[in-house]
Amino acid sequence: MASYFISSARFCTSKYPIAVHLSKPLLLPSKPSKFPFSSNRFISFQNIPTKSPPPLLSSSSTSTPLQPMEELPPKLQDIIKLFQSVEEPKAKYEQLMFYGKNLKPLDAQFKTKDNKVEGCVSQVWVRAYLDEDKNVFYQADSDSVLTKGLAALLVNGLSGRPVPEVLKISPDFAVRLGLQQSLTPSRNNGFLNMLKLMQRKALELLIEAKKGSGSSGNGQIVNDNSEKPVESSSLDSKADENSGVGSSSLKGSEESSGGLGSRGMRIKEKLERELSPIELKVEDVSYQHAGHAGVRGSDGETHFNLKIVSKEFEGKSLVKRHRLVYGLLDQELQSGLHALSIVAKTPSEVEAK
Amino acid sequence: MEGLVVKLPSFPFLSPNISSSSSSSTFRLGFRRFSASISAAVNEGFVSLGQLTRPDFPILHQEVNGSKLVYLDNAATSQKPTAVLKSLQNYYEAYNSNVHRGIHYLSAKATDEYELARKKVAAFINASDSAEIVFTRNATEAINLVAYSWGLSNLKPRDEIILTIAEHHSAIVPWQIVAQKTGAILKFVSLDENEVPDVEKLREMISTSTKLVVVHHVSNVLGSVLPIEDIVIWAHAVGAKVLVDACQSVPHMVVDVQGLDADFLVASSHKMCGPTGIGFLFGKSNLLLTMPPFLGGGEMISDVFLDHSTYAEPPSRFEAGTPAIGEAIGLGAAIDYLSGIGMQKIHDYEMELANYLYEKLCSVPNIRIYGPKPSDDIHRAALCSFNIENIHPTDIATFLDQQHGVAIRSGHHCAQPLHRRLGVNASARASLHFYNTEEDVDNFIQSLNDTVSFFNSFK
Repeated sequence: MASYFISSARFCTSKYPIAVHLSKPLLLPSKPSKFPFSSNRFISFQNIPTKSPPPLLSSSSTSTPLQPMEELPPKLQDIIKLFQSVEEPKAKYEQLMFYGKNLKPLDAQFKTKDNKVEGCVSQVWVRAYLDEDKNVFYQADSDSVLTKGLAALLVNGLSGRPVPEVLKISPDFAVRLGLQQSLTPSRNNGFLNMLKLMQRKALELLIEAKKGSGSSGNGQIVNDNSEKPVESSSLDSKADENSGVGSSSLKGSEESSGGLGSRGMRIKEKLERELSPIELKVEDVSYQHAGHAGVRGSDGETHFNLKIVSKEFEGKSLVKRHRLVYGLLDQELQSGLHALSIVAKTPSEVEAK
Repeated sequence: MEGLVVKLPSFPFLSPNISSSSSSSTFRLGFRRFSASISAAVNEGFVSLGQLTRPDFPILHQEVNGSKLVYLDNAATSQKPTAVLKSLQNYYEAYNSNVHRGIHYLSAKATDEYELARKKVAAFINASDSAEIVFTRNATEAINLVAYSWGLSNLKPRDEIILTIAEHHSAIVPWQIVAQKTGAILKFVSLDENEVPDVEKLREMISTSTKLVVVHHVSNVLGSVLPIEDIVIWAHAVGAKVLVDACQSVPHMVVDVQGLDADFLVASSHKMCGPTGIGFLFGKSNLLLTMPPFLGGGEMISDVFLDHSTYAEPPSRFEAGTPAIGEAIGLGAAIDYLSGIGMQKIHDYEMELANYLYEKLCSVPNIRIYGPKPSDDIHRAALCSFNIENIHPTDIATFLDQQHGVAIRSGHHCAQPLHRRLGVNASARASLHFYNTEEDVDNFIQSLNDTVSFFNSFK
């Protein structure tokens, strides 16, 4: 069955360049200036799946072909096709807002700094979690209606999928939506940052899950992430997922390396010496708190997440365990360490799961 | 009004081909004649200043997203007239050369033009001497210059710096950094019931511990104007200095640093129809003379040895490295253009526009405009930051842009403390300049109403 498809990637104009396929399923790479209506040279007939094929890029966009639709999660493909079928821009916005309206609200407890999308002029939060099959699920919220719509689009499109598939998604699919969402990786690009955050969280969750640690995640987490199913503890990675940061251990007191300053090292040494932990994770999350009062006047190492699995905690109540740790780190607390978030477990607790 | 055609003689600056080799004095003469004609035309009411000057700004004549561009983001940056564009091009085509040290013809000419630009800036703000003008990259760098140079060498523990919560981040953050290093204390004046910084409170806060008062002249969010002369009098009475952030005032009204008696004043070229990459600090001579260098390097030295160097006199002392020569000359051209119209004329026109904008905005249901209500005593600048109930400003700005080609800004406008005090995360802001017209405002309001109904219909 052959068909060719007329569409317009720029919906605000009335021109309708002819969409062309030369190789399936990749789009024509940059022959952008050759859009004359009358030129028939570029039209070819070939088998195209009956659902609407991807439209051609407008001349102003990238010269590299878009990621093939088949690589995208199926629900996302459906959403894209839906948007493509809606041509009028105003109607697209309505569609977007409709998604946003139907987005499940996000509980206030998840509106944490760790879940906030950087670089949005509006506020956007994204929460991620894995099910038993290691598929990632998302929830999101925003105070701006359009951003909420975009978030909903991503949540609906990506939820329930295996992590590797989510990680493979390239943000340029947004071009197909025809919403003219900018893809420039600038500070203000909420859409791009949302997707990146979702991908990063998915990766973190997967890494955590694979290590088999932190599954009884009812940690006494002192900071704001208190949640039952396995949430990603904020790995200290800003942008790139795999910048070797404290991803935690297998048994055998592996350390969290990467990125610990002198105080972090001291903390680690002290805890190792005094508690002989079978698992120790020291994470510097000071950057998350860089704005507020506790940090002023310090050298930057002010907030840490600690995860300690040690026999020393046996027989001690939670409060006593924390007191023990605080006691050991008293000197640090006197000299500029502002806050600790402690998960303190015994080996049996961790094994019991 | 009958169908009278106003025949405007073609003046040098309306026609694009200005060669800068013609002496600047004929240039200025042309402006004076033009200015007279503008007054005539505008006074007779045949055409507004906006309509008259629009043709000089090529960028305004385009379509975005399928609609005619309506540019209302002038507080963020202004557009440039052809005269400025040409002067930049001409610099690079005819006499680009490094300044101050060269012997040859081109460099002498570049130096002349660069220093002439400095004189133009001095004259524009009525500084007594062009040596009181230090060229910087922008106003932010100028404030940092004062902070690091004057601040670090003059502030002691428990010295007080007074600011308002409505200051731009560039007027707050450098002082936070310096306060941390010197032990000085920052004190902030909040807003009064008119949503303007409380000037009475500010007066009370000034004490013998005060060493510096940092205030904006015109607020980029509230549109309010502060009584700088009074503030300077109060500050000087206790021996404190005053740094005036004039970024939103210099482009829009007559600013007279001698009349204000300000110690420091900063502004950016890109907000006053000049190119980006250049701004200036005005500092009183006696102050600049006592200040140590900011950045070190070439141009700001006198002699350099291996173990020490001696420094040049101001303003060179604070201008390390090759300056933004073309840009400074472009700023000079912008000043010529503005002077040709007359800052008072620009101010009067923008006052009308400001009132018109405010009135029209008030008619939008559920709108909350920040800042004072205009009256006989209270004049607002031609900008309005606002929020509409239940609609996020980003949604408004996005829709306005995509559906109507209207460019406004949404966010905190580099004034987070102010927004926190107002109790919002972000606001939308429309800001005008003398090349905007009432039609622009009408267009904006119409589009805004359409936007509001779109989002409301969805609830």
